[in-house]
Amino acid sequence: MIHDASVRLHGIAASPGVAIGPIWRYRPPQMETASGAAGSTALPGQSAAAALDAVPRLRSASEESARQLGALAARIRELGRTNEAEIFEAQALIATDAALIDEAVRRIRAGEGPVAAVQAAAEATATVLAALDDELIAARAADVRDVGARIARILTGDVLELPVVPSIAVAEDLPPSVTAEIPLGLLTGIALSAGSRTSHAVILARSLSIPAVVGVAGLLEAVDSCLGRLKGKPLRMALDGEAGNVILGPRPSQEIHLHMRQAALTAKRDEAAALRDRPCALADGERVTLVANIGSPEDCPRALAARAEGVGLMRTEFLFMGRQTAPTEQEQVEAYRQVLSAFGPDRPVVIRLADIGGDKGIPYLNLPPEANPFLGIRAIRLAYASRELLLTQLRAIWRAGALAGVVPHVMAPMVATVGDVELFLSLRDEARDAVLADRLPCAERIVSGIMVEIPSAAILAAELASRVDFFSIGTNDLTQYTLAADRGNAALAQLQDALHPAVLRLIASVVAGADAAGIPVAVCGELAGDEAGAVVLVALGVDELSADAGCLDAVRGALARVTRTELDELARVALSALEAETVRGFATELAGGVRRKHVKKSGYHRAGTP
Amino acid sequence: MQTIELEMRNPSGLHARPAALFVKTAAGFRSRITVQNVTRSTAPGDAKSILTVLAAGVAKGHFIRLWIDGEDEEAAAQALSELVVSGFGEAVE
Repeated sequence: MIHDASVRLHGIAASPGVAIGPIWRYRPPQMETASGAAGSTALPGQSAAAALDAVPRLRSASEESARQLGALAARIRELGRTNEAEIFEAQALIATDAALIDEAVRRIRAGEGPVAAVQAAAEATATVLAALDDELIAARAADVRDVGARIARILTGDVLELPVVPSIAVAEDLPPSVTAEIPLGLLTGIALSAGSRTSHAVILARSLSIPAVVGVAGLLEAVDSCLGRLKGKPLRMALDGEAGNVILGPRPSQEIHLHMRQAALTAKRDEAAALRDRPCALADGERVTLVANIGSPEDCPRALAARAEGVGLMRTEFLFMGRQTAPTEQEQVEAYRQVLSAFGPDRPVVIRLADIGGDKGIPYLNLPPEANPFLGIRAIRLAYASRELLLTQLRAIWRAGALAGVVPHVMAPMVATVGDVELFLSLRDEARDAVLADRLPCAERIVSGIMVEIPSAAILAAELASRVDFFSIGTNDLTQYTLAADRGNAALAQLQDALHPAVLRLIASVVAGADAAGIPVAVCGELAGDEAGAVVLVALGVDELSADAGCLDAVRGALARVTRTELDELARVALSALEAETVRGFATELAGGVRRKHVKKSGYHRAGTP
Repeated sequence: MQTIELEMRNPSGLHARPAALFVKTAAGFRSRITVQNVTRSTAPGDAKSILTVLAAGVAKGHFIRLWIDGEDEEAAAQALSELVVSGFGEAVE
């Protein structure tokens, strides 16, 4: 009997996409049933002989688990899923780990059955790991439980029943070893009652583009009650990984609606993927340079895969944070060389000098605490007191450029005055002279730029532009300093929109100053990775956008939908509006491909054209 | 007996993959190897147990101390230092 009332449940949108199909219900092995099935339910005071038999059985199950996991790792590594393979390699070690097995043996000797003993030992170890304040290690707790469950299954002879038709997995949580055993193509969606956006199953789902919704309260109860009513007939589910909801027993109209959504999402993804192999340009062919922000050398593969034309911002803070002493020159040379080599001579990499200071508690800087660290000694200002830190960094960049055979681009953050630019350039030259004096390989030149993120720098754009090779606007800080609104203060949200016309007018004057000197302007703030923001920036004459690799497809797609004529209209609105919403509304329509027949003039021109 | 102290320099500390590599390397020697996270001052434990190494909660910037005792202690000390200093292949190609 089919109930016409379908059940809709909400959770966390964890991996985008739509899935519709039968469910596959995964249940972890249960402690009591499992040991009962094995016929070895232990009671306190069981015979020493039973315990003696249990220990070798446990040891051979642990070795069998390690063997299975090793084979699984090898198979997955062959498929090129290296990160997952590494998880199973670690699990294979856990399966025979002395800390786990000794604890299980101790429990067996104390009278527990082997199945209960190994699961309890795994649980105890998992609890220790989960309590660590290190998120990466705490996440390994799931691996230990997973291994415990695997050993338990081997002990009981339980076989995991995998789906036979393409299905949506429904479970409390889905251990990595289970998801990996399901043949690709038979797992079309994942719905979990537990889990977070960072759980194993979710990371896997995203990497395989499988839609997922997690943290769905009441999911298992609802599914099990539906299954009970259906008496063996399959239960269908519709899952929307973008909206974060699931529908049990969806009505045909709901399925059609979701199919249409899925088609629209696929079309959008295909469109973006098709554009990826063409240079980033407006609809009328005008080129825009699209590059990536990276936080460490590990981000290079993602940026290259997203077809970044280079790196507009390589943050170097990762080298300086979370340590007791400053990084050595050699360590820095290696990190920069790695990134410069990865991108090669045709895709320039802009390295930003360390943007560190009072707010980040870096012990070896020996800085006194400040009341307003964002207005204090940080970034280029560190050189006011001691040139050493930035000199070492610049020496490393000169040397890395030579080793990679490219011309490094470098920019100084927090430049406020002409004096700051001159300080930066003198540090740069001093570093080169020192490298040459040491007879070390040295790059031919460095392309030198500055971050424009302090209003004074925007106001002095013309004077600064004549002294450097490029500008890169940091819209996050520029907005914070222009509107005097702390980025982290949620109560000031309306003052934190970088599309505020006050910020946009500053950006326009930076572009004007740069144009007069003939140097390019990039934007490396979050605004550059936002579809509406990117369109506004290009409208204002910005030459290059630099954003997280994950944003590049969307930005490329948005720019391909607009023409310069439309952008000229947008620029007029942007510079004459009084509120960020006005600009955002217009830009969002343009970026989304909505063609306006005419622009309502009333709201936009009250301020007159500046 | 060799006692060495090392700074963890790879970005992710001793989590799954580096921990596995560390334990496999340690297990390749006959010496008894004990590890302690000095920064968190954890209880010293068996460096050949991945669960013990994970439970030490070693993050980037932490210092670990190793006591290595046995016939191949010098080779073990060298292999483990090299592994940690090289950043487990994370920071260095």
